[in-house]
Amino acid sequence: MKITLTVNDEVHPLEVEPRRVLADVLREDCRLTGTHLGCEHGVCGACTVLVDGRAVRSCLMLAVQCDGRSVRTVEGLRGPGGEPHPLQRAFSAEHALQCGFCTPGFLMVAAGALAADPTIGEDPDRVRALVESNICRCTGYEPIRRAIVRGSCPGSVA
Amino acid sequence: MKPARFEYTAPRTVPEALAALADTGRDVRVLAGGQSLLLEMRLQRLRPDLLVDINRIAGLDRLGVDDGMVEVGALVRHEVFDSPWAVPGPLGTLLSLAAPNIAHPPIRALGTMVGSLAWAHPASEWCAIAAALDAVIRLRGPEGAREVPARDWFRGPFETARRPGELLTSVRLPLLGEGTGVGFIEHRRTHFSFAQVGVAAALTVRDGVVVEARIGLANCADRPVRARAAEQALVGAEIGSTLFARAGRVAADQDAAPLAEPYADVEYRRHAIAVLVGRTLRQAAEGARQ
Amino acid sequence: MWSRREDERLLTGGGRYVADLVVPGCLDAVFVRSGVAHGVLSAVDCSEARRVAGVVGAWSAADFPSGLHVPYTPSAGLSAEEAVAGREWPALVKERVRYPGEAVAVVVGEDRYRAEDGAAEVAFQVGPLPAVVTPRAAADDSVRLFDGLSNVAFQGAAGEPIEESVWRRAAVVVEAEYRQQLLMPTPMECRTILAVPGGDRLTVWSGHQAPHRLRGQLAALLGWPVDRIRVVAPDTGGAFGSKSAIFPEYVVVVFLAVLLGRPVRWIEDRMESMLTATRGRGQDQRVRLAADADGQLLAYELTIDADVGAYPHLGAGLPMQTARMATGPYRTPRVYATVRSVLTNTMATYPYRGAGRPEATIALERSMDALARRLRIDPAELRRRNLLPPESFPYRTPTGRVYDSGDYGAALDLALETLDYAGWRAEQARRRGDPSALPLGIGLSCYVERSGGEPGGLHEFAGVEAREDGTVIARCGSASSGQGHETTFSALVAEELGVDQVRVELVEGDTDELPDGVGSFASRSAQVAGAALRQACELLVQEARARAAGLWGLPVAEVAWSGGAVSPARGGAAMDLGELVKATGPLRVEDRFESDMGFPFGAHAAVAEVDPELGTVRVLRLVAVDDCGVVLNPMIVKGQAFGSAVQGLGQALYEGIPFDDDGVPRLANGLLDYLVPTAAEIPPITVKDTCTPSPGTPLGAKGAGESGCIGTPAAIVNAVADALRLADPGVLRMPLTPDVVWRAAR
Repeated sequence: MKITLTVNDEVHPLEVEPRRVLADVLREDCRLTGTHLGCEHGVCGACTVLVDGRAVRSCLMLAVQCDGRSVRTVEGLRGPGGEPHPLQRAFSAEHALQCGFCTPGFLMVAAGALAADPTIGEDPDRVRALVESNICRCTGYEPIRRAIVRGSCPGSVA
Repeated sequence: MKPARFEYTAPRTVPEALAALADTGRDVRVLAGGQSLLLEMRLQRLRPDLLVDINRIAGLDRLGVDDGMVEVGALVRHEVFDSPWAVPGPLGTLLSLAAPNIAHPPIRALGTMVGSLAWAHPASEWCAIAAALDAVIRLRGPEGAREVPARDWFRGPFETARRPGELLTSVRLPLLGEGTGVGFIEHRRTHFSFAQVGVAAALTVRDGVVVEARIGLANCADRPVRARAAEQALVGAEIGSTLFARAGRVAADQDAAPLAEPYADVEYRRHAIAVLVGRTLRQAAEGARQ
Repeated sequence: MWSRREDERLLTGGGRYVADLVVPGCLDAVFVRSGVAHGVLSAVDCSEARRVAGVVGAWSAADFPSGLHVPYTPSAGLSAEEAVAGREWPALVKERVRYPGEAVAVVVGEDRYRAEDGAAEVAFQVGPLPAVVTPRAAADDSVRLFDGLSNVAFQGAAGEPIEESVWRRAAVVVEAEYRQQLLMPTPMECRTILAVPGGDRLTVWSGHQAPHRLRGQLAALLGWPVDRIRVVAPDTGGAFGSKSAIFPEYVVVVFLAVLLGRPVRWIEDRMESMLTATRGRGQDQRVRLAADADGQLLAYELTIDADVGAYPHLGAGLPMQTARMATGPYRTPRVYATVRSVLTNTMATYPYRGAGRPEATIALERSMDALARRLRIDPAELRRRNLLPPESFPYRTPTGRVYDSGDYGAALDLALETLDYAGWRAEQARRRGDPSALPLGIGLSCYVERSGGEPGGLHEFAGVEAREDGTVIARCGSASSGQGHETTFSALVAEELGVDQVRVELVEGDTDELPDGVGSFASRSAQVAGAALRQACELLVQEARARAAGLWGLPVAEVAWSGGAVSPARGGAAMDLGELVKATGPLRVEDRFESDMGFPFGAHAAVAEVDPELGTVRVLRLVAVDDCGVVLNPMIVKGQAFGSAVQGLGQALYEGIPFDDDGVPRLANGLLDYLVPTAAEIPPITVKDTCTPSPGTPLGAKGAGESGCIGTPAAIVNAVADALRLADPGVLRMPLTPDVVWRAAR
């Protein structure tokens, strides 16, 4: 099928089999390998991307479902001038990543929520719900929680 | 694993969808939220021939209230019910108590309530609530529209009364009367695990006596269960921990038919059902305006 | 701006894991796997698969050379010739399936989708045989995995047998049985390998902890000299011990890449890992712990039946780590530990973070708490009476280890103080008087572990090169899978040489960059590779001074070294490394460094609340005090301690592999069934450290990173046992799922 994905503001006309999942099309057809596959059954969240601004599991969505829609991946998180997203800085500052494999998924879950509501970092319950969305095997999560608070509330330290 | 090959169509109208679904010689599946369907396809436990993606059909995302019922369209996502104000009154509270138990936010952003009813997982939160409230499932098919009450809907694990070619268009749930107390509690091993037991309850209490009781059980049998024997044990009796414990016992012994699971044999599961029903009733009673 | 050098690329999608590498014409390999745990394979038919569009080929064992086997791992005594003799591990099943998920065929396609299309068309039959999935069930040989051979593949002991009179005369003897359940390391990136032939060489990319070891194994397999193979470990998404081996799938992929002359990769799918990823732990233990009436330990005996999986190639000798560390941090005069390594119908057991030390610590520390209850001595006091005092080092244990250094009591005291032990004991007493309060327990766990590796593998290779532009390239044989080596080692080299950190670049995980290397496992990188880098820096400085001496016509003693530059000691212009290289030519040193074992230690404490009605456990507080000697990068070490404590929590409460009656793991829903901790399960955790430098390593560093898996589980289990005031600690079998705790509480 012919589809068009707008990924990180760039238009990608693509020819894909209906069965190809969004994650594979992003990684292989769009060559955006920052979206990782950790479980391919919707649990771990490493593959989380934003579709029309909403965080979804790109392993449980078909690329054809996204025809004409807008997708944002970790590669599209930097600002227009190439400056890092506050969450990217905060993750580093809080040592919220070790192997880095799950990191793009956590960043996108948090970035989607933050774009929808810039005050989310002020609500500990909602931050917790974000961290509870994905799996990390290295950090023990607490640094990720602190990083989301830090990245959401510039100037604050959790 | 990757999904096996299939054909895909994304109709714009319900009649177009029904036309696609009419191809009953093949394995045709409806793709709504897809959070269970695509998972099963990824595991190649399902290898459908054709997917009918209904996400581009206008109007199926309608959530409306009329006649003491809320009608939830086939494309209303789980996450809508995270908020207790999405649906008025105690039903809205009940749905918002249950919603956070469904997977996690990115899954709730896509998955749908009606899709859960179609999928009929024995541990589904929405299915337990539908059973408790005897929700009405609305379908359209080759022979026109029909409605099926939840009591006739669930036929077994992942089995429903849906006929070939039919599309679930919405579900209607009764708005619970003001003053009805609601409760929803799940018992699970971690945040990501399926519920070992889930209980939904709605209690109407007058002068300290139960007037009406609704109890739905998730993962307590091979299908969602309405705990009618426990409900009967409650109606007309004086609320209190003794009553709730007794109702829990009745639900576990008479209404539930739990199967053994890893880390939860039948003995433990019956015990946990009794405890959880008691606790959920207590939660509901606390919320009931007496 | 970035705390670690790795961070920018990993946070912006610029990481390069094996699955991200773009190699034109690369094929995907998919394995066809047995759903039966134990059985006789017949009639594998790949012909239909070969006809599927996009499939390049399909092979069963019959299509392969008969000698295509998985080599065993002799490193650190993980396996041995006597364990594997007569027990071949074929790369694809020939006749007998011995574990569920064992590969019976491989299909190679233009991409994973097409290869899976082909895999679905491979026909085969497995005639089931009875399966055995616990060492107790397998040890009697009523079901044999290898005809004519016992399932007991290896036996060993540490210490001397203890006379019966010791037990008879003791005031108290605690006896218990424990099961250390099988676990899955579960790195977020599953296993990966990509083999790219080119010219007469082969480049192999793999998320791997020991690239040089893999290179050697592959060379032996292909009958090639090692210099025809290059192994590169790019960014690796976690390992926790599980990525240092060679597996059947790796053997097949490399063989096919050479056969086809095309790049072939295998990116393990999470669902296949549920059956075929290496398992950790897996011991049935019996203990006897004797003490006098004052709680002085008299003797400790540990009997281990270890589950080593279907093939003894990876971990038959691993349980000896448990036996050798059985003494723990106490001055018990008599300790004896025996090991029986038993084959079962499960994927092979292999090191998982902690690797033998958690099993030792958990058995001993659970028994210590049971002893404290029997003697009515406070468990902290009981430990204090028995911990080895600081003046006892070096200490040769009855089980043959020589502990290097420690102040075990200081770690315990800091843990108790950090936890507010007295405060929680008061809260516990209050709750015991309040019928509406949930019971609460406090659990302690003191541990000592071993880092660096085993004799014969305590070395590492490192090199330092100064370049004309003033930059320095550091190379070492380790390979990072999240530990931040680029950050830590670059800083170390910069400091040793007195140059700016930005001028130092670390190159590791590439066998073409350094002739030899050992790798990253056994908490060895800082301790051994770090010291090797320091030694290489010293060599570089020596060489620089010698060259400057030649250049200036001075005796070497009159050439000073300071701030990354040489200068005449009696005054004169300094010359930095870049200028020196310009003047004297390329400057590169390489060396091998040999370390001693290190013995990190610590004390963990947990407070847990139990809902006895449902059996749920809520950990309210966890304190981890670890001592890994001199810390090179506190942020990274603390991150390791925290993350491993959470893995220890998973081991205590959530993780396990249940089997159905046919011996197949009940993990059909993947990570919805194998439950690693999520953020919702994390209690408030405080990580602290004490610092007792190791005298056996130049940096004073001991290994870090495995502490939580070792120290935390027993603290949590002990807290639950304390809450329920259990007489027999053995009834709490990990993981402490609600049903287990509910039964124990009844």
